[in-house]
Amino acid sequence: MPAKRQIVTFGGGGFSMEAGNPLLDEFVLGLTGSARPRVCFLPQASGDADHYIVRFYRAFGADRCVPSHLSLFRRLRSPREPRRHLLAQDLIYVGGGSVRSLLGVWRAHGIDEILMEAWDRGVILCGLSAGSLCWFTEGVSTFHGSAERVEGLGFLPWSNTVHYSSEPDRREAYHRCLCDGMRPGYAADDGAALHFVDHNLAQVVASRPDARGYRVELQVGRVVTSRLATRYLGDGTLAAPVRPAAGAVPA
Amino acid sequence: MAGGPDPSAGGRNGARPSRTTVVLGGHEFSRRRGNEALRDYVLGLATVEHPRICLLPTASGDAEAQIHGFRQSLGGLPCRVSDLSLFRLEGERLALREHLLRQDIIYVGGGSMNNLLAIWRAHGIDRILREAWEAGTILCGQSAGAMCWFEWGISRSSGAAQPMRGLGFLPGSLSVHYHRDADRRRVFHQAVALVIPAGYGLDDGTGLLFRDDELAEVVSARPGSGAWRVQSAGGGAWKETALRARQLADPRPAIDEQDGAVSELRRTLASRAGGGLTAR
Repeated sequence: MPAKRQIVTFGGGGFSMEAGNPLLDEFVLGLTGSARPRVCFLPQASGDADHYIVRFYRAFGADRCVPSHLSLFRRLRSPREPRRHLLAQDLIYVGGGSVRSLLGVWRAHGIDEILMEAWDRGVILCGLSAGSLCWFTEGVSTFHGSAERVEGLGFLPWSNTVHYSSEPDRREAYHRCLCDGMRPGYAADDGAALHFVDHNLAQVVASRPDARGYRVELQVGRVVTSRLATRYLGDGTLAAPVRPAAGAVPA
Repeated sequence: MAGGPDPSAGGRNGARPSRTTVVLGGHEFSRRRGNEALRDYVLGLATVEHPRICLLPTASGDAEAQIHGFRQSLGGLPCRVSDLSLFRLEGERLALREHLLRQDIIYVGGGSMNNLLAIWRAHGIDRILREAWEAGTILCGQSAGAMCWFEWGISRSSGAAQPMRGLGFLPGSLSVHYHRDADRRRVFHQAVALVIPAGYGLDDGTGLLFRDDELAEVVSARPGSGAWRVQSAGGGAWKETALRARQLADPRPAIDEQDGAVSELRRTLASRAGGGLTAR
């Protein structure tokens, strides 16, 4: 039986943006079905920023999982054989930053092909912000100035945009792109995550009661945004979701 | 300025500004010997009084230490300093092209040459740099930021030293850290003997100035550091020829020269710690 191919994309959230609210990170760990999953962090969108790697290890403790990271800037302190290492994971977690820089570095090192192979073999792929946009065919990046259309890896045959309710400029740019012929797609708020099985959206979950996922498409020349049923992951025993941490890394 | 350019080394020729490139075999923004001399040499090449100088720290993934060192080293000098991130969003948002075209000097830091070129291409920075260079902006860099301008460099982006294609703004090849990295030098010699065009081997603390495609000047800011022309000698052999370098002096005593004082201070502190102070 072929492995189930899964991708989870956060509109924003997880340890990078929601200090003290582990709901989205717990959700992706839980999808692995392993008591102590192997999780590898890919921080290339931030240039393998040290502070980001440290925060990953704080959030993904060795009691809960087997954490590691792959650096493509400081190879000496990183697994020697990226392919073998990545294929051995249960979960690959991609951080935020610049999606253009992320894809540039991955392609220079052949990581894009390894990730395709990992996905086919059942390794769960996830990420926030730039780490969400990268899996789709196209999306909107707002890096350095104006929002622009950007191509992703194309694992998912949709368009994508992130921080949907919190960044009106990006939302408007996304709508313009759709009018200009960008394929239909999915948007997510900070705190909302889209779970895809193969190419299809299977469920939407959230770490905040008001966060949502959206289907966005052009219908008779107009952009139509449909709010998707979103399951809040909090069960009442957890503290109220916290606001995004300062210094968050959006796409 | 102690490390100013030699006026005979080249300059404006007619209507079009010459394309100026300065490559450094190894340079840090520290007070170790030669580093301030090379920094002043680069600044002195600008033809305006308060040049705009922008750091591209891309090859290191925007390492904090590199950005901090650059800003600290240039901070008190008559220039306008900026750095351009291709990863982070927290800082000031810049229009990439406008910002780069406005610079008098663009300094490219060291790190991974492979990542540097891949990221530049992903953002279209390679084309903008070419445009800036042709309009008179001085392109400069050290290590990966030096080799990137040539047709070929010897990169350690994947660990082992190997030939890697650069942007090709300058003809030929360049290998850096020449006598500090024996593996890289060996790979460079083999590559020049068989595969890649002739080029230069540059020690840390040395620099080459190019006006258009021509080597205009060789400078050295450390005693014993030099530059070599490396060519194929046919039949799989190579030959190297030492280049005559102009010596640059640091504007103030380098920190290495204060080693005596540092060890004396350490000895003093150690003896005082034995006398009742807590040593940690």
